[in-house]
Amino acid sequence: MTKQNKFAVGRRLAVGGAALAPALALLAGHPALAALPSHPRWKLVFVNHVTTNPFFVPTQYGIQDACAAFGCDYQWTGSATSNAAEMVNAMNAAIAAKVDAIAVSLVDPVAFDRPIERAFAAGIPVFSYNADAPKSARLAYIGQDLYKSGVMMGERIVSLIPSGVVALFIATPGQLNIQPRIDGAQDAIKQSGKPIQAEVVATGPTVDEELSRIRAWYIGHQEAKGMFAVDAGSTQGVSEVIRSMNLVAKGMHGGGFDLLPRTLTNIHDGALDFTIDQQPYLQGFYTVMEMVTWLLSGGLTGPAEINTGLKFVTRETVGPYLTTSTRYEGKTDKEAVVPRPAKV
Amino acid sequence: MPRRGLLNRLLRLREASILAVGIVLVVYFRAANPYFLTDANLETLSQFIAATAIIACGEIMLLICGEIDLSAGHVFALAPFVMHFLDEAGLPMPAALVLALGGCAVVGLINGLITVRLRVPSFVTTLGTFSLLNGFTLTISHGSPVETGDEGGFADAFGAGGYSEIIWAVAIALGVHFVLRQTRWGLYTIAAGGNPEGAAEAGIRVGRIKVGNFVLTSVLGGFAGILEAFRIGSTDPLAGGTAIMFLAVAAGVIGGTPLAGGSGTVLGGLVGAAVLGVLRDGFTLQGINAFTFDMILGAAILVAMVANIHVGRLRRRV
Repeated sequence: MTKQNKFAVGRRLAVGGAALAPALALLAGHPALAALPSHPRWKLVFVNHVTTNPFFVPTQYGIQDACAAFGCDYQWTGSATSNAAEMVNAMNAAIAAKVDAIAVSLVDPVAFDRPIERAFAAGIPVFSYNADAPKSARLAYIGQDLYKSGVMMGERIVSLIPSGVVALFIATPGQLNIQPRIDGAQDAIKQSGKPIQAEVVATGPTVDEELSRIRAWYIGHQEAKGMFAVDAGSTQGVSEVIRSMNLVAKGMHGGGFDLLPRTLTNIHDGALDFTIDQQPYLQGFYTVMEMVTWLLSGGLTGPAEINTGLKFVTRETVGPYLTTSTRYEGKTDKEAVVPRPAKV
Repeated sequence: MPRRGLLNRLLRLREASILAVGIVLVVYFRAANPYFLTDANLETLSQFIAATAIIACGEIMLLICGEIDLSAGHVFALAPFVMHFLDEAGLPMPAALVLALGGCAVVGLINGLITVRLRVPSFVTTLGTFSLLNGFTLTISHGSPVETGDEGGFADAFGAGGYSEIIWAVAIALGVHFVLRQTRWGLYTIAAGGNPEGAAEAGIRVGRIKVGNFVLTSVLGGFAGILEAFRIGSTDPLAGGTAIMFLAVAAGVIGGTPLAGGSGTVLGGLVGAAVLGVLRDGFTLQGINAFTFDMILGAAILVAMVANIHVGRLRRRV
């Protein structure tokens, strides 16, 4: 499953440009492109484990905007089903095509070692984004610190719930982009020393199955004090179960990750305590920035780890997510500057 | 001896063996977990079963006439998006739903015509449309989920209400069962799969029967997708897919419809879907750990099916 996107940079900038380009231009005090020495249109390849997943829609917009700002073309490719072999094939094809830089979500700890070596031998820099295998030779990781995000969720769980059973739901156990969150949450709960019994429950790869599995688990564990999830679909499922079964009245707490529309509505309605925004737009935008600075400087600058953050969205802060519809959160492809809030 | 007669009659039913397996599973899960037969869980269980059962009704008709539809899982994702866009364009939701199902019928018509007229095996035809539809849904949705419009009573009737989906599933299964057992269309479907040449020589328009069953499967796939979109409250471009399609085909086969065609049972498919639902719901209710879940589910399916086949043998001896 590949999508190729090309952008006529000059023209787009002339008519108002990519979403972040004007902001960057303002920062620099002159048009963005003029700040860079002239360079060929670099071809950047993003290898992804779930190319069609809604989570990565804003990531692609981030890549598009950065490519428009810096004068590059990109290809979005990989596997639609988290198949590492398919991703390795896509990476090998990119190396054979002598592209200028590769970014890959390292969802397998070792499968990408040899392709990374081959890319380096061909003079192609490789960065990891969204999911990382720290022992691999990649130049830098741009994305959320997944284990730490799990620890932070675990600490939040401990602050909400004094004792009892809590569920930690995961769509596909063992997968490197979500499993570390479960590990982090479990460790944080253990370290707190509180008598909280965390059960890890698999929910399946599609939203319909996820909702049913979460409902069934709750019915079997009505003494539970909390339900938390580490992926977008399960988080939406948790929020729906709490809302539809009116569990807030029974003292149930819930939380999870990512910004599916229903999750946000349910936070607003008080059914879910929080969701964690891992800022997928930045995972695309910053990765392109690192690739470009590496290419501009001949490898002297660029490889720097970037933690794209961990933003807790709660009932108090969910407002702007519901009232705006932007490409930074993936709800629309419309390019626009969002008015900033009165208070930061 | 009326009691023996009743038992004999029950055992002679094609669906008897899978029904027996299902009852054993229900008894086991009831014994293992006090919540299994509570109202809240029966509602959840019904939701595990309904969508699979609805798609299975179509797949069984196709299997009987010697074909299969792999694309049903992606019509499942497409239909609620078509409904959403039509609704956004100003159409009332009921009209949007009907038109979306009309779109699904067109997909089925294309599947059928390519298979029958251009003589491409349906496995390949629908593999092609499977991928094509997935790409189409992703493109029109920009890969992003949307909230399914909430129309109160209408949404409740079409999936959002607790038991509404299973009521639809049972009604559809009874309807398709009637068509298969009591109408000429059903008779011709069996003939088209059992002996296509003979059927054609006898004047049955085999092609037309097959195309009709492709249309039925697509419409049922789309309808199941719409019910699920209302239930979840979110219309997701990645809903359904291979997972639901394989579950539906598996429900048909487990229920007693052979992959080879020529015979089959819709009510068996309903029971097959129920058995698969009971297993998934029951083990989740028990809180089976994430890593071992699939292992236990797989082993349970194997044990249940071995039992199914042996009860089937017993049935034939009676």
